[in-house]
Amino acid sequence: MSIFTILPLKTLIIILSGTCLAGVVCSLIGTFIVRMKLTSLGFCMSHAAFAGSALGLALDLPPLWIALAFSILVAFILGPLTDQSRLQPEIILGILFSLTMALGLTFLNFIPDSAMSTTAMSILWGSILGISYLDILRLAILTFSIIILVTLFFKEFHAIMFDCKMAEASGIPTKPFYYLILFLTGITVAVSLKLVGGLLIFALIVNPASAAYQFFYDFKKILLFSPLFGILFSLTGLLLSFFLDFPVGSSIAIVSSVGFGIAVILSPKRRKG
Amino acid sequence: MKHLNIIETYKANTVYEGEKIPALFDITFSINQGDFVCIIGPNGAGKTTLLETLNGLLPHTSGQIIIMGYDIQKNGVYLRKQIGYVPQEFTVDPLSPFLVKDIVLMGRYGRVGLLKKISQKDYNLLEESLRFMGIEDLKCRPIGKLSGGQLQKVMLARVLAKQPALLLLDEPFSNLDFRTTHQAIKLFSRTHDEKGWTTLMVMHDLNMIPERCNRIIHLEEGRITKDGSPDQVLTEELLTIGTREG
Repeated sequence: MSIFTILPLKTLIIILSGTCLAGVVCSLIGTFIVRMKLTSLGFCMSHAAFAGSALGLALDLPPLWIALAFSILVAFILGPLTDQSRLQPEIILGILFSLTMALGLTFLNFIPDSAMSTTAMSILWGSILGISYLDILRLAILTFSIIILVTLFFKEFHAIMFDCKMAEASGIPTKPFYYLILFLTGITVAVSLKLVGGLLIFALIVNPASAAYQFFYDFKKILLFSPLFGILFSLTGLLLSFFLDFPVGSSIAIVSSVGFGIAVILSPKRRKG
Repeated sequence: MKHLNIIETYKANTVYEGEKIPALFDITFSINQGDFVCIIGPNGAGKTTLLETLNGLLPHTSGQIIIMGYDIQKNGVYLRKQIGYVPQEFTVDPLSPFLVKDIVLMGRYGRVGLLKKISQKDYNLLEESLRFMGIEDLKCRPIGKLSGGQLQKVMLARVLAKQPALLLLDEPFSNLDFRTTHQAIKLFSRTHDEKGWTTLMVMHDLNMIPERCNRIIHLEEGRITKDGSPDQVLTEELLTIGTREG
């Protein structure tokens, strides 16, 4: 019996909408993260969100809000810490990654056994079947807000993505936009956590965007195709998880990695002649 | 509002983080609107540091720098909208996802301003700048696929599109061949007068100093050692050293 006949239509629509929205929002933010060579930001944020959720569960507080607070905290720490230490952001992310991972594992110890087996695992691996109208609404608002922000400040993002120093020399205040990208990444990770899970969300951030970068020399086209790849990879991953009974997060990570591999093979950028 | 002194610096020092010796020391000069100034000096003299300090990309640690009547440290973003800057040896990743037309148009972004749309005037300036530099055929080419010389022309077109009041050029012709350098120098000298620019140009090759240049500042170890007209500064000794270094 197929999953489509088992699940009520309403639930199926919620699941498909959630998958598409998470695909769009993660890969859209991924376009900036990949270009800025901040791919570690994805897994650092996801581990921060994981640590926040674990703390929420341990203290019997809403896990999503604590996850959100932790991700945003990482975003706020990263920028100034990078500026102050004069180190590459990737190094600071490495430090923050080990810290958030350690905090997450520590907080897990304080979660009661009953919650540990269900809720904590769903944070790690995602729980698409547990997604609600409210989750969809949050994802939709976030997706819409990011699209509006990217449209309104396209000039500024465009110039910063080419070269931060040249953008600054053009009279663009680069720092607020850099921090905005970090901040939006934090929110995206925390809000999408329930769908893909903390351990694999960065695959949905990095892989569709990296695949789109294989095909185009025009940043506008990458901004358009990255979310389309995000939808394609997450829906295919979802179907795979339904038919093969895999966790959704793992399926999306596998499909998006294969998708990236195919993009590299088909990339016109590497074709000679 | 016209500012007779478009640049005024007073005892400006720039010290890089973690360094004790200033990269620029006691820099005091003023530059009038319409001046075409060349900055010369040996490697490591502080020429690039001076340009980056003047446009505020590098904060000066003491002293004062006033550009067009405003303190660069307090009004950096506003002033950089009026300053055209071409850096030395700009490199781009070969797979960079930007086209030549994007890069030239980006020169306008600061001037257009936040939350404002690119207008037809901006697109016209893009076309005009590409034509000016003779690179219309490169318009839709990926920026990472260009040669060093072509990239330099794109960066010059970008600064032309910006229509700045003050132009800071850091060895802008270093990747161009002899003939193209001469054409570019002629073009920039003519445009400098037509548009009423004030230009500061770092030059390594003393033989290529434009005829239009009316003043030369010689830097050595971060200090101004000579400042005057080309005839006063370009002594036979300096030209001999310059030729040997070049």
